[in-house]
Amino acid sequence: MATVVLTKANGFTQNEIGEAVSRALDTLNYNFDNNNDLVVIKPNLCYYWDYSTGETTNPRVVSAVIDWVRQRIGKDVHILVAEADASAMRTKYAFKMLGYEKLSREKNVNLVNLSEGEIVDRDVIVAREKYILPVNKILLEASLIINVPKMKCHRAVGFTCALKNMFGAIAKPRKYVYHSRLAHAIVGINKIVKTNIVLVDSMVAVGKTPKKIGVIIGSDDALSTDFVAAKALSYKPSKIAYLKLAMREKIGNIDNINLIENSARLKDVKKEFPKQNYLLQKLSWNLQLRTLRTYARLANDVIPPILRE
Amino acid sequence: MLLKVGVVGLGKMGKLHFMNALHMKDVKVLAAADQQKSNQQLAKKYGIRVYDDYEKLFDSEDLDAVIISLPNFLKKDSIFYASEKGIDIFVDKPLARNLVEAEEIVQKVRTQDVKLMVGVNYRYFDSVQKIKNILDEGGIGDAIIATSELIMDGPFSHPLVPKPVPEWWFDKEKAGGGALLDLGYHLIDILTWMFGDLKVEFSTLGHRFNLPIEDSAIAVLKSPKTGISCVVNVGWFSKMIFPNFNFRINLHGTVGYVSTDQFAPKNLYLHAVKEGALNFLRRTMGRKVHYLSYTYYYASFAEILDRFFESVRNDMQLPVSLEEELEVIKTVEAIYRQNGVLKWPL
Repeated sequence: MATVVLTKANGFTQNEIGEAVSRALDTLNYNFDNNNDLVVIKPNLCYYWDYSTGETTNPRVVSAVIDWVRQRIGKDVHILVAEADASAMRTKYAFKMLGYEKLSREKNVNLVNLSEGEIVDRDVIVAREKYILPVNKILLEASLIINVPKMKCHRAVGFTCALKNMFGAIAKPRKYVYHSRLAHAIVGINKIVKTNIVLVDSMVAVGKTPKKIGVIIGSDDALSTDFVAAKALSYKPSKIAYLKLAMREKIGNIDNINLIENSARLKDVKKEFPKQNYLLQKLSWNLQLRTLRTYARLANDVIPPILRE
Repeated sequence: MLLKVGVVGLGKMGKLHFMNALHMKDVKVLAAADQQKSNQQLAKKYGIRVYDDYEKLFDSEDLDAVIISLPNFLKKDSIFYASEKGIDIFVDKPLARNLVEAEEIVQKVRTQDVKLMVGVNYRYFDSVQKIKNILDEGGIGDAIIATSELIMDGPFSHPLVPKPVPEWWFDKEKAGGGALLDLGYHLIDILTWMFGDLKVEFSTLGHRFNLPIEDSAIAVLKSPKTGISCVVNVGWFSKMIFPNFNFRINLHGTVGYVSTDQFAPKNLYLHAVKEGALNFLRRTMGRKVHYLSYTYYYASFAEILDRFFESVRNDMQLPVSLEEELEVIKTVEAIYRQNGVLKWPL
C-alpha cells in the first residue's frame, strides 16, 4: 500500500515550512530498513526561475528536508542535493541563482551536477521497447532518494510532479531530444532510478498564474503522488499519457492508496489550485503558431527568433 | 541603390536582424558569420554565404554595411576590423562594456571615417515617438519628472526551442554589467535623447540571483540643463512570457502628464490580429509591409535598422549620434562607480 499525506503549512517562514515538511514526512512513517549512508535530494530546478514563480523548488523546503533527514537518520549522514543540466538550463548557474549555493553553505551539504562525473548508460524496457538512458552513478549508488518536485501544469505533458521530476535527472543535457517519446522516457528513468520518498513543494502552485497555497505532500510512492496530484489539479490521471503508461507498466502502487488528509483536504487543494486547461492551452498555442507561420508567408513578414522552431 | 550587407553574429538578436535585413527593399544580405554551426543554419537555409569568423567575412566580401550582433566583449575588435575595411556599422546596444572602450571605438570610427550607429531600438517604439512629440510640442508644459521602467527576464527569456543562455552573460568581465547595462541602457538613452546630459543623484543595484552582475537597478538622474529629475528602474528578475512586456516611460509636466502606456496596445493579441490584417492588405496592394508590427515589441528593431540603411544609402547623418551614446555609457558607468562596482579596464 502506498501512502500520500496532504499537509498545509501555517505560513511561509522557514519555521512554518519546516514544521509542515516534518509533519508530512513524520505522518508518512517511512520505514528506513536499510543503511542510509548516501541520501540524494532531487529538487526541480527546470530553469532559472525563482521559486516564487512556482516553477522551481523552494530551497527552504529542501532545507527543511535536510533537517528532517538528519533528525531521523543521523547528523553525519551524507546528503547530496542533485540536479542535471537541461536543454536551456545549466545546473551550476541554477544552483547559484536559485539560492542552492547559499543552502549548501548553510546546511553543509554538497551540490551535484548529475550531468557531470561518472555517467553510465542503462537499458530499460518500456512498453516492450528497449531504451537507453544515461544516468549519473550517484543516483544508482544512493541508498535513499528523496524526490522534491513541484506540482504544476506543463505545456508538453499537461501536468508534472514526481515522475516528471526524475526525467530531469537524466544526465543528458539536451533532454529536448526525448520529447518525441516523452512518456516513455519519464517512465524509463523512473524504472531505473527508484524514488524512495516524495515531498512535493506546492507552497507556491503554478497553473494559469502562481498562487501561494502552502501545500506540502509527502509520499512513499512517486506514481501514487502523481495520481493524487493530478486529481488535485482536476486532471483525470488516465488522460495524462505518461501516467497512463506508468500505470500500465506498474511502476508504482495505485490500487490501494492510503490518502491521509493531515491538515489539507484534497477538495480544498483542488479548489485553491490556479487551474489551467492544458488541452485548450496546447491547442490554442499550436493554432497561434500555425496562424503566425501562414501569415508570415502570405504577408512576407518576419517571425521573431523566440518563436521560431 | 542596393546595399550589400553582412551580418556578424547569428545569436538571438543577430537572427532577428538577419531576417529583418533579408526582407528589406534595396538591401542584399551577402554573407553572415558565426562560430556556432547551429546558428549558421538559418543563413544557410536562405542560401547566404556563411563564415566561421568575422575576419574572413570582412576579408572576402565587398560590403557597404555590416550588422554586428556579438557579445559585448567582442564588439570593440569587430568594430575596429570592420571600420578598417571602410564598412559602415550597425551594432547592438550597448556600444561597449565601459567608457574607455566606448571612447576608443568612437575615436576609431571617426579616424576611419565610417558610420557607426547603436541599435537603441526603444526610441522607435510608436509610443515613445508619440510622447516625445507631445513633449517637444509643449503638450505637458515643462517636464519636471520622468519615470521609466523596463522589467523582464533579459537574457533569461525562455525560447520556444530551449537553448542555454550564452555563458558570457554570467561573466562580469565579458558582459561588462548586468541589467543596468543591458536594459538601463535603453531607458537612459531615451531620457538623454529627450532631456540631454544627465547626472546621477542616487542609485542602487540589486542581486536577487546571486550573480556577479546586477539583476536590478534603480537610479535617480538629474538634467543640469533643464532641472528635470528622472527615475530609471530596470530588472532581469521577472519571468515574462511573450508577448507580455513591462516597459513604460511617464513624463510629468507643468500642465499634465503623458505615458507610453496611453499609446501601447491594450490587448497585444488583438493588436497582432489588426496589424497582421493591415500588413496583409499592404502586401496585396503592393505597399511597404510594416515588419513585425504585429508583435509591437519587435517592430522597433526593423524600424531602426531601416533608418540606418537609409542613412547609409543616402549618406545622411545618422539618427542616433555617437555623442549621445557616449553620454549614456558615461551615466551607466557613473552608476556603477557610485555602487562601488569597479569597471574593467579602469
